[in-house]
Amino acid sequence: MILRSMRRATVFLIGILGSTALPSVAQQPAAGNKVVQVTGLAGVKTNTSGNLTLENGSLQFASSGTKVSVPIHSVEDVITENDSQRVFRGTIGTLTMFAPYGGGRFLSLFRAKIDTLTIQYRDTDGGLHGAIFTMPLGKADPFKKDLVSQGARTTIPIQDDSGSSNTKPDAAKEKKP
Amino acid sequence: MKRALYATVFAVLLLSAHAAPPRLPAQAAPPPAKKKASAIQVLMITSDEIKLPAEFQISLYENLIQQLEKQGGFLHVYREGDRNADGAADLVVLHSTVRGFKKGSEMARNVTTVSGKTSIDVHCQFTDKDGKSVLERDLNGKVQFFGGNLRATLDFARKAAKLAHDNFAASPAS
Repeated sequence: MILRSMRRATVFLIGILGSTALPSVAQQPAAGNKVVQVTGLAGVKTNTSGNLTLENGSLQFASSGTKVSVPIHSVEDVITENDSQRVFRGTIGTLTMFAPYGGGRFLSLFRAKIDTLTIQYRDTDGGLHGAIFTMPLGKADPFKKDLVSQGARTTIPIQDDSGSSNTKPDAAKEKKP
Repeated sequence: MKRALYATVFAVLLLSAHAAPPRLPAQAAPPPAKKKASAIQVLMITSDEIKLPAEFQISLYENLIQQLEKQGGFLHVYREGDRNADGAADLVVLHSTVRGFKKGSEMARNVTTVSGKTSIDVHCQFTDKDGKSVLERDLNGKVQFFGGNLRATLDFARKAAKLAHDNFAASPAS
């Protein structure tokens, strides 16, 4: 009896693993900057995934149905940081919490490292905005470099060895107010 | 004999529980200032003593503005530096300073349930247009069980928006 229920739990976990593994492989960005807009952009819902590009002197975020543009010269600060997030998140992540024998807790041990890009910019009325993006590891620093080279300002200078995000000194990771 | 002793102890406990005067919420905190304002301006969150990650600073600011707009009661919610705020007659300005920050761990929360709490302590000061303080309060934002660390900023924003609405909103909540 116990063996049977354990087998059922294992099948359940494998099922969840299998169903989430395929989409995550399919979601790998082919080119450009596939990002998730955590919060901040006007008219864009929180945690919306889309493409972040630099075009015609503006920072453009395009997702299905929405396209938001921020002039680069209005960007007052660009900060990159490292973070991590659950591999199984969203609806599936919530469902895993109901997995038997602590399966949900076990699955929450699987985490993916990500880069965080935070910008501050002014709108046409002078109002201060902030926006947070998450992107795959190692993508934020090159993007920041491009952004700064096109006229954006930053309070934390870009590191020369920005190739690896993990090697940044602690002082550079935290913004001094 | 023993039964009488137990009964006495029980009665004393019961009496002491009821004898303490109930604490009214009005006695715990001073009565809030009732100044009506049609507009509020939110300044960027500052952290003089605490090193706050930029994403938390931005998330606090943006969530605060979102929640103030969602809560309703103000005709306008202005951002820091917005030139339109200069023309608003009855404006309150919200200054927020982070006084404490503990970045927990989402993984620890998920695995252990009891540890890994993220919490942010913010001192909120509402001033009028001339900079005179009209209300000051310490608020806390935390995430204890579910969600990422940034969810603590949403918790704080909800509390701050409610405080602003209860004390300054000119019109009822939408």
